[in-house]
Amino acid sequence: MKFTISQEAFADGLANAVSAVNPRSTLPILSNVLLQASGDTLTLTATDLDFTVRTTVQASTGKQGSTTLPAKRLSTLVKDLPKTEIDVEVDAKSVATLRSGAGVYKIFGLAEAEFPGLPAFDGAVEFKLKSSDLKDALRKTHYAISLDETRYVLNGIFFSFKGDKLTLVATDGRRLALAEVNDLEIPKSQEREFIVRTKAIQELMRALKDDGDVIVRLAQNMVQFDCGPTTLISKLVEGNYPNYVQVIPTKVNERVTIEREALLNAVRRVSLLNSEKTASVRLSFGKGNLDITCNTPEVGEAREALAIPYKGKEISVAFNPEFLMAPLRYLSEDEVHIELIDDISPGVIKINAPFVYVLMPMRVGGA
Amino acid sequence: MVSAPAPTEVNNSTRAEETGNPWSEILSALRAELGEGIYERWFSTLGLKHLDAKTITLSVPNSIYQVWIESNYAAQFQAALLTALGGKRKLKFVVENAPPAPAVEPVEAADQEDADLPDPRPDGRGLNPRYVFDHFVVGTNSEFAHAASLAVAKAPSRTYNPLFIHGGVGLGKTHLLHAIGHHIAKSKRGAKVAYVRSETFTNDFIQAIQTNSLVKFRKRYRQADVLLIDDIQFLAGKERSQEEFFHTFNSLFEGRKQIVLSSDQPPSEISQLEQRLVSRFEWGLTAELQPPDMETRLAILRKKADSLQVSLPAHILEYLAHRIKSNVRRLEGALLRVASFASLSGRPLSDESIEHLLRDILQEEARRAVSIDLVQRKVAEHYDVRLADMTSKRRPANIAFPRQVAMFISRRLTKSSLQDIGEAFGGKDHGTVIHACKTVQNRMDKEESLRQIVRFLEAALQR
Repeated sequence: MKFTISQEAFADGLANAVSAVNPRSTLPILSNVLLQASGDTLTLTATDLDFTVRTTVQASTGKQGSTTLPAKRLSTLVKDLPKTEIDVEVDAKSVATLRSGAGVYKIFGLAEAEFPGLPAFDGAVEFKLKSSDLKDALRKTHYAISLDETRYVLNGIFFSFKGDKLTLVATDGRRLALAEVNDLEIPKSQEREFIVRTKAIQELMRALKDDGDVIVRLAQNMVQFDCGPTTLISKLVEGNYPNYVQVIPTKVNERVTIEREALLNAVRRVSLLNSEKTASVRLSFGKGNLDITCNTPEVGEAREALAIPYKGKEISVAFNPEFLMAPLRYLSEDEVHIELIDDISPGVIKINAPFVYVLMPMRVGGA
Repeated sequence: MVSAPAPTEVNNSTRAEETGNPWSEILSALRAELGEGIYERWFSTLGLKHLDAKTITLSVPNSIYQVWIESNYAAQFQAALLTALGGKRKLKFVVENAPPAPAVEPVEAADQEDADLPDPRPDGRGLNPRYVFDHFVVGTNSEFAHAASLAVAKAPSRTYNPLFIHGGVGLGKTHLLHAIGHHIAKSKRGAKVAYVRSETFTNDFIQAIQTNSLVKFRKRYRQADVLLIDDIQFLAGKERSQEEFFHTFNSLFEGRKQIVLSSDQPPSEISQLEQRLVSRFEWGLTAELQPPDMETRLAILRKKADSLQVSLPAHILEYLAHRIKSNVRRLEGALLRVASFASLSGRPLSDESIEHLLRDILQEEARRAVSIDLVQRKVAEHYDVRLADMTSKRRPANIAFPRQVAMFISRRLTKSSLQDIGEAFGGKDHGTVIHACKTVQNRMDKEESLRQIVRFLEAALQR
């Protein structure tokens, strides 16, 4: 096998593929990336058996063929090579020779035959949607995924293809983010609900492009995201996602529209006076005014006032500043709507698009 | 997967409206603590499943209740418990009307997932579904091993790696191993749990050599996230298997995968086991299972009787617990035999009829009863002195001390009186025996090596 490739394309492709390699894998072959050269493309595949990345980059093939090389080492090396063409040649014993400018590098690989095959998605249920739509919905929800491994069903985003929309939900028990992609055509027989694990979500967000379509294929306990040059295959989180509907308040008492960035900046500055142990900021809503305050013993206190068009009754509620800022950071809309019930009930953030964020208040004082 | 939360019918006796019972008091305390809105949303549909001195189990319509209550209202719930019951409880949840929970058969699920692997064999297959932590009766004899196992199951490869459980026959080693496997398979989706007896490991290894498929064999074992190996002592003397296991062990350990081993002896006492394996086994935590005491035996019998759904009079259970001491498996066998006899014959049971029924088991137990003679022989053998020296009047230190040890052990393991013991040691009086016991005890307090010797001798005598 023999091919020539630009350093940038090779480094990019490897960076994508390496994300699937588990550094602590106990099988040597899984530390390797599978390279397949044919025509004017080089296909790179890496897997840890639960999660697979396959990506295609431009290359000119001298002699088609395939091999596997240690992913981390190859990736580090290629990243460090000068930005010129790289010639790669692999002999029958899976020894690869890389030539870049004056440098010659020999890397010992393993035969392609040992590399595990990819799961088949023949006859799988298929959904097609705009790449940018899915990326946007993921951005709006991913930060609320639970990191608590004991609640494994929450270690991912819940995908529900139902009716004419895709609903994404993430929650960690203290907050819940929900976003929708509308105007899809989903036949009744193809309605599906599944949970995609955190690792796949992170890589998916990187792989999704701003234009074009993404095809989601679902087979048994695997999901495939076909994003053009890069395809991700991931094992699903098994189990049932809890019925989140219960969490979203049905009746709220007050609603106010606030400029997103102004609120984000004020909360961020005020929360700088938190200590690591007790992170909380208090939002006090009064007529035409929002006071954002924080008071930490032995550190100090902060207060910022924000003029807002609020007309309801006075409500003062404390939130975890990180949890409050997360959606504000990942939304792109200028304004957010904040809905409140009382001092101890959850707050809700909405925008002029199908998105809901429910945030539980901190228990400050009292029990 | 997600459907509208159907309000579940809660058993009437546990409804909130009833006054005077602890559940309604808990609920009203919660209502006061949290206000009407939150109470209505999260607590009005809860049911009380179980309440005892340590735990409270709630039934919830679906799992979001558990997630949300645990995350947000746990402190308030404990406060309400404090108000209503005067103490805190461990909070547990059951989901009512749950769709067929996939967690019920985690082992099978794990198997399917790896359909594309060369051989999914080690994935949890062979775990007995009844061997879970809930069914394990914890007593002082097993407290430590149980706690260590639970810690490992909750955070595999973070706390104790490897975990080495050892103890005599029928004391629950396999039970704990299986329970760890179940717990991990259930709580960590997709975790590959491999449970094998060391004999299976050896057989697989031999077969792999024969068919020249060592690579496949290695793949199979080194891919596990959790490797549970039962009865590791059977590796003794099998050198190639030991070497292979040594490499498997290292590769898993370096990959930070959990390893749990069980054996009937502590690692250092397994003969013909390579030193490098012994040192690795002792690397993590070594926990011992000891024979259960009277109370624990009784608790085990009660639990077993419950699960068999038989009810036996208390004095029968006590009789069994009193007579069968060495081994939980035998205890359960005896219970089963008595229970089936009672249900078949329909006659009330008396101590004599049980005695007759269980005569072989009881005989076997009695045979284990340690005699002074046996103690003398074992101690003499260990210290390499003549048996006659045990009863002689000679008192050089190399004879006198073993004799004192033998008296000490006789005092602890036999029911003989001081007088009888003295008599058996060549007509010494009871004061000599008391002195011997004191001397040995004092030296044991100071000398680790003596403690080990005594422990070893006692174990050997009781085996």
